[in-house]
Amino acid sequence: MEKKVIIELSHITKQFDEDIVVNDLNLKIYENEFITLLGPSGCGKTTTLRMIGGFEKPNTGEIIINGKVFNDLPPYARPINTVFQRYALFPHLNVFENVAFGLKNRGDDYLVKFFQLEAITDKKVLKETIKGKIREAVIEALKLVKLTGFEVRKITQISGGQAQRVALARAIINRPQILLLDEPLAALDLKLRQNMQYELKEMQRKLGITFIFVTHDQEEAMTMSDRIVVMKDGLVQQMGTPKYIYNEPVNRYVANFIGESNILPGVYLKKNLVNFMGVDFDTTDYTFSDGEAVDVVIRPEDFDVVELDKAKLTGTVTSSIFKGVHNELTIDIKGVELSVNTYENYQVGEPIGLKVDPYEIHLMKV
Amino acid sequence: MNKEFKILAKPYIVWLFLLAILPIFVMIMLSFMFSEGLTFEESFFTFNQFTLLGESSTLEAFKNSVVFATLTTVISFVLGYFVAYNVFKSKFKNKFLILTLFILPMWSNLLLRTEALGNLMENNNILSDLLAGIGITLSIGIKGTPLAVIIGLVFTYLPFMILPIYTALEKIDYSLEEAALDLGLTNMQKFWKVIFPLSLKGVATGSILVFLPSMSGFAIPEILGSGNILLIGNVIEQSFKIMDYNLGSLLAIVILFFILGALYIVSKVDKEGETLL
Repeated sequence: MEKKVIIELSHITKQFDEDIVVNDLNLKIYENEFITLLGPSGCGKTTTLRMIGGFEKPNTGEIIINGKVFNDLPPYARPINTVFQRYALFPHLNVFENVAFGLKNRGDDYLVKFFQLEAITDKKVLKETIKGKIREAVIEALKLVKLTGFEVRKITQISGGQAQRVALARAIINRPQILLLDEPLAALDLKLRQNMQYELKEMQRKLGITFIFVTHDQEEAMTMSDRIVVMKDGLVQQMGTPKYIYNEPVNRYVANFIGESNILPGVYLKKNLVNFMGVDFDTTDYTFSDGEAVDVVIRPEDFDVVELDKAKLTGTVTSSIFKGVHNELTIDIKGVELSVNTYENYQVGEPIGLKVDPYEIHLMKV
Repeated sequence: MNKEFKILAKPYIVWLFLLAILPIFVMIMLSFMFSEGLTFEESFFTFNQFTLLGESSTLEAFKNSVVFATLTTVISFVLGYFVAYNVFKSKFKNKFLILTLFILPMWSNLLLRTEALGNLMENNNILSDLLAGIGITLSIGIKGTPLAVIIGLVFTYLPFMILPIYTALEKIDYSLEEAALDLGLTNMQKFWKVIFPLSLKGVATGSILVFLPSMSGFAIPEILGSGNILLIGNVIEQSFKIMDYNLGSLLAIVILFFILGALYIVSKVDKEGETLL
């Protein structure tokens, strides 16, 4: 099935004074998708989000939402809501009033359409109905974020995790087509963060809203996203499903940023044959020219530990850390350090043999 | 608390008792007595001053005080909020410098400033002389009118309104403004639903700082009102001048209760004590 593009960024560039923060960004985001902009701080991911939200204007390029150019529209005219990094809850209102804020301050015409109340003509009845509908919507939104019973709490009387949920409820009550989340989990502790990751993903599936999530935490991105956009210095490095980006990183930067990896210099000898660490290995299909230098990526869990006489590479264990499910070994092979995960137990100083299957070897352009 | 710090606090405690609390007790005593000036000889206990409280001239002065102070507060609030908000929203690098310009007049003596202002309010003054030199005749003889007193009060106490409002505005997290826009508010709605309510503490502080001194002060109405307008401060001053320490003390105590009452209300409304900071 062809997925519908809900928002398209076309040749977006943003400059602050002389600094190019986002450079010629092209991105299509589909309906009902959980997409993550991933990168270290200063890579332009938050700026991109702010441009979509309408808080910054791009210097060049177009932001197209539902086929219409939205560059110059103010935030309130966009079908978008944001969960801010530090939540930005209104301290002078309680939880209920915060969540109701977006609907309460809309005009009656908007709300009539929103709640589909065209049938009611009596002004007084309409006012009452709208009031009741907003109340229902708030209660439902609070239920969705599991904060039922917190309506009259003050914003200063709730914890960080609860504030985060209020911020979420305040955004989704407006039924936006797109929800922007700017590192919303950064301020939570590890356990809470992991719980929220699953809940967010679940919520996105239930609501059918497009989530655009910004984070610098690659694990967070992997857990939740349908697609990840890896950014660096305002440039998109790679886009794709988490699996694709993990298994087939396009360059050293992405390979390093997403998960642990061993990156080794090698030479592409000919079709299906690559040489690194002085040994020839079979590979799957890659199209490089013969004799070209390449970077070889092998994930620590992709090495097979084998007996010495069957091994392609042999080395000495220099450290072994027990990680629960597996052991994390550091192996010295002729002065090169490799990181290897295995279920076998090895003592420091023991010799060890390694093998790699052809499909576990990933080659990248240098 | 640390013992050494307690010792360090002693001079202040002595100071407080000798020069603040003790005089207040003396004033309270004087309010219930008849005495010839500040002597206890031939003095006796009486409620006589309390009957004077009900006299129409005193009541008129009280009424004037409240009316003038209220007007001053309202005008200062409108002007002060306008100034504070525009400085807050402006793109000046050094906003503190701008605010310093507003405070600058306070560095000169209050009486001098008021006299100078009074001079400008008379028909012939240095300004009209200068303007006449270039062919403009300007003559505003408003000295001695209520308007002159109001102008003087606002002129003097406006900075006390601007500063706390500006501080309150500055404390508002910018992301709250973005959140308001994000949730569908226009810029105008954003101001009334988010910025203004969050700056109310500054408004409260400013209002107290303007209201109390304009209610109890006497110099400005005396100079700019040319003696035509009596506020309660003037009545107190006159009482002490004519050695009627008993009535003066009583009125001063009444004013003191006003101030304490205001502070009590503030402390009830604002439990964290942010308003007065």
